[in-house]
Amino acid sequence: MVDKDTSSAGEIVPAEKTGTISRRQFFTGVGGLGVGIVLGGTLFNGLLLPDEVIAIPASQGYLLVDSKKCQGCNTCMMACSLTHHGVQSLSLSRIQVIQDPFAKFPDDKYIAQCRQCADPKCVTACPTGAMHVDTETGVRTVDVAKCIGCQECVYACEFNVSRAGWNFEEKHAQKCDLCLNTPFMDAEGGPGGQQACVAACPTGAISFVSEIPVQSDAGYEVNLRDEGWAALGYPIDDEGKVSPAEAALAE
Amino acid sequence: MATGGYVGKILRLDLTARTSSVIETEKYVQWGGGHGIGSAIFWELCTDKTVTGRDPKNVVTLMTSPLSGTMAPSASGRVEIQGIGTAGYPINWFTRSNFGGRFGGQLKYAGWDGIVLEGKADSPIWIDIINDKAVFRDAKDLWGKDTQETQQLIWELKENEEHGWTEIGKTRDSGRTTQKPAVITIGPAGENQSALGCLVHDAGNAAGQGGFGAVFGSKNLKAISVVGTGSIEIADPAGLFNARIWAKDEYAAAPGQQVEPNGPTFGVDPAPVFLYAKNPDGPMGPQACQGCINGCRARFETGIANESSCQETSMYKAFDVLAHGEGTDASYIATDLVQKMGVNSYELMQGMGYLYALSKMGVLGKGLEIDTDIDMSRIGEADFVIDLVDKISNREDIGEDLADGFVRAAEKWGRLEKDYAAGILDFPYWGYANHGYDPRAELEWGYSSIMGDRDMNEHGFNANFWSVIKHMMAGMEMPVSAEEYAKITTSKMVPYQDDMSMVDYSTENMYSESFAKLVVWQRHYTRFWKQSALYCDFRYPDFTNYNREDNVGITGDGEPKFWNVITGQDITFLDGIELGRKIWNLDNAIWILQGRHRDMVQFASYIYDIPLENSLVGPYYPMAGKVGDEWAYINTLGRSIDRDGFEEWKTHFYNLEGWDVASGWPTRETLEGLDLAFVADALAEAEKLGGV
Repeated sequence: MVDKDTSSAGEIVPAEKTGTISRRQFFTGVGGLGVGIVLGGTLFNGLLLPDEVIAIPASQGYLLVDSKKCQGCNTCMMACSLTHHGVQSLSLSRIQVIQDPFAKFPDDKYIAQCRQCADPKCVTACPTGAMHVDTETGVRTVDVAKCIGCQECVYACEFNVSRAGWNFEEKHAQKCDLCLNTPFMDAEGGPGGQQACVAACPTGAISFVSEIPVQSDAGYEVNLRDEGWAALGYPIDDEGKVSPAEAALAE
Repeated sequence: MATGGYVGKILRLDLTARTSSVIETEKYVQWGGGHGIGSAIFWELCTDKTVTGRDPKNVVTLMTSPLSGTMAPSASGRVEIQGIGTAGYPINWFTRSNFGGRFGGQLKYAGWDGIVLEGKADSPIWIDIINDKAVFRDAKDLWGKDTQETQQLIWELKENEEHGWTEIGKTRDSGRTTQKPAVITIGPAGENQSALGCLVHDAGNAAGQGGFGAVFGSKNLKAISVVGTGSIEIADPAGLFNARIWAKDEYAAAPGQQVEPNGPTFGVDPAPVFLYAKNPDGPMGPQACQGCINGCRARFETGIANESSCQETSMYKAFDVLAHGEGTDASYIATDLVQKMGVNSYELMQGMGYLYALSKMGVLGKGLEIDTDIDMSRIGEADFVIDLVDKISNREDIGEDLADGFVRAAEKWGRLEKDYAAGILDFPYWGYANHGYDPRAELEWGYSSIMGDRDMNEHGFNANFWSVIKHMMAGMEMPVSAEEYAKITTSKMVPYQDDMSMVDYSTENMYSESFAKLVVWQRHYTRFWKQSALYCDFRYPDFTNYNREDNVGITGDGEPKFWNVITGQDITFLDGIELGRKIWNLDNAIWILQGRHRDMVQFASYIYDIPLENSLVGPYYPMAGKVGDEWAYINTLGRSIDRDGFEEWKTHFYNLEGWDVASGWPTRETLEGLDLAFVADALAEAEKLGGV
């Protein structure tokens, strides 16, 4: 399972959905891929730089995953539904782990987590502002009171396994909010706080970072494996193609 | 009163009429879950408990627990299956098996706490459960397929996939999931009703013992598929999350890190448990059942024998080494084969040893007394095990004789007593294969098995054997002395916690009341906490935990903590054990109605007559024990079980249970004390009530 192409950065998003930033911030942000590109009603073609641009603030946090380290126990999914909704459900989880028991490693697992996109198509697609960017944290999340159930966000997400999900129990869209709104978790969530999936993962296959990863498939699928992992007999090279025994032989 | 964990309904399927109905779970909540509910339903619905396993009147239950599909660590993924089996001897007892994976979670998300199977379909079917709908589907396209092919064919039927989510039903709000349906299926062995047939789910989860593959086959039931999109209510959601983090931080291995070796306990790391002669050394990744705190399996770059671990990885080891002097790919092929064909690897492993012995004796072979086309000279090669499994699966050649297991085949061949006497038919209890933890050395394994219905397969005390062995092999010092082990372990064995001699495996103590207490405790603990609450045998009980400075494991605190935050009940560890006593008494009553009496509770003769000289790892079988007044890890090899001594031990056991010592049948007083007067009435009617 492969993510769709994500390299479309020129979408125009209505400015009123976002805050404003200065031109300097815009440059800084783009240089570091720190913001989604949004122009206040002006076409941006790379030549024309307006005095003021309106950008979607970058999220202050991101989830990185290592599917080669994932043991497929779905604990992250149960942690997600538990802390957000107070129930155990895989369908209501905002992180999804998809597996094929008969597939060959490392193609046997795929972790689908929200990327908090710099250019969030789910936010763009929402006609009511329900899917929005949290002004304090930059987290892309849902104001359920504004959600009209059109599912445009679900269809707009560019990834196969749409990261914008439809909560068919409570009848609204939902997506990973980095645990910003977790009524059933005592610890503070959101960027700077605790993420339930990261805290619960037994093997350490999910991590939280503040800096936006490189915008490619590999940018979110990272290598979280270390020498301790190799001691268990598992490969620690990026591709998962060289076992510790083979690595020792090569040396 | 439970406010969470249960989803409220049990799916009752009449395969004969192809109809379904609903049993309200609430009626059975008093039995906890899993095995307890299964036994209670079997008691009620299987009106003639003397029927055989393949009789359409046999009732089969597949039960989850309130913990299934939740974050309870290493308790979320298992399913208990019960019914009259096909693999026992001399009587096919009412028995149990249990499998991991994700079937139980999916069943709960679909809105079902369990499934009850009655009757027999008139042609092969499979059952398709999607949330609250169960459909009987024609299995003609699945019949004859192996377990992998069957599951993949069922998955291909998945419809309406959009954006990676499979929509259930036709409306926006009817549910959606990214997960493949969870399927439990038989392979060709089960279809042909071989007692070696087992049930397989995903690549490496199997309900192997008991012969439930033949039971499914006898009912013309190829598979059950379930996918659910619903939710499980949790009484204290934040409490559950906090408890999981507590267990992880306080008792589990640091994420992704190697820890001090131990036997199967809570604190081990997520390294796969391999017992091949030559373990896989290519790239692989970890794999676990749903909710496991640290998994025990892997998937491989080759995809061969994915999710296989522990015994099934050792089943061809000895023969592979015999043929090649070392482990080869033949072992991986053999392991992969039994998963796909749905064959019980325990029975096959010990059975192949028996066939090898018979061939060396000149009894079994082409044109010999036991005539077979199987080329015994090829044992250890891949083609041998492929040929043998094919013949077993299709009931051809000696596969027909083996259809009721190796012990009944030996009986049919007129060799049972002499081959038991010679010690070449290593099936010590109720016709079940020796697990490798021989009753002569690891007493509790044998005693618990013979007081029950099958090879018990419970590693709580066995974990110490592995801990000592692993430290010995690594040249490491044990983190706890034998005395510390005994102190920590027995302190958790309520209500007998004051007696450290319970875990004294010395020859002087092997028939004592203390050792009977251990087995009584084990029967009650496992009946509830492991087989009803469905805490995984590979992680519980956790007596010693080397991730902690005090080396004290999670058992006693952990089990009720998760149960209570999920269900909203307020039970103690001992409450669970006492419920286990009640469930155990119900099971024992079923066995009595099937014909159980104290006199028949006996091991195969070699267990009494031939001292054990080797363990599965060599000439050493360490367990805790006393040498004089001192505790040590003692070698328990070199002994057999004394017949009179065992009778003495049985008397202790029956006394502790409150059962009549002459017959082994419970008394009315004992049963009524457990609120089981209806069981006493039934036994009285059958003239099998103890103490009368």
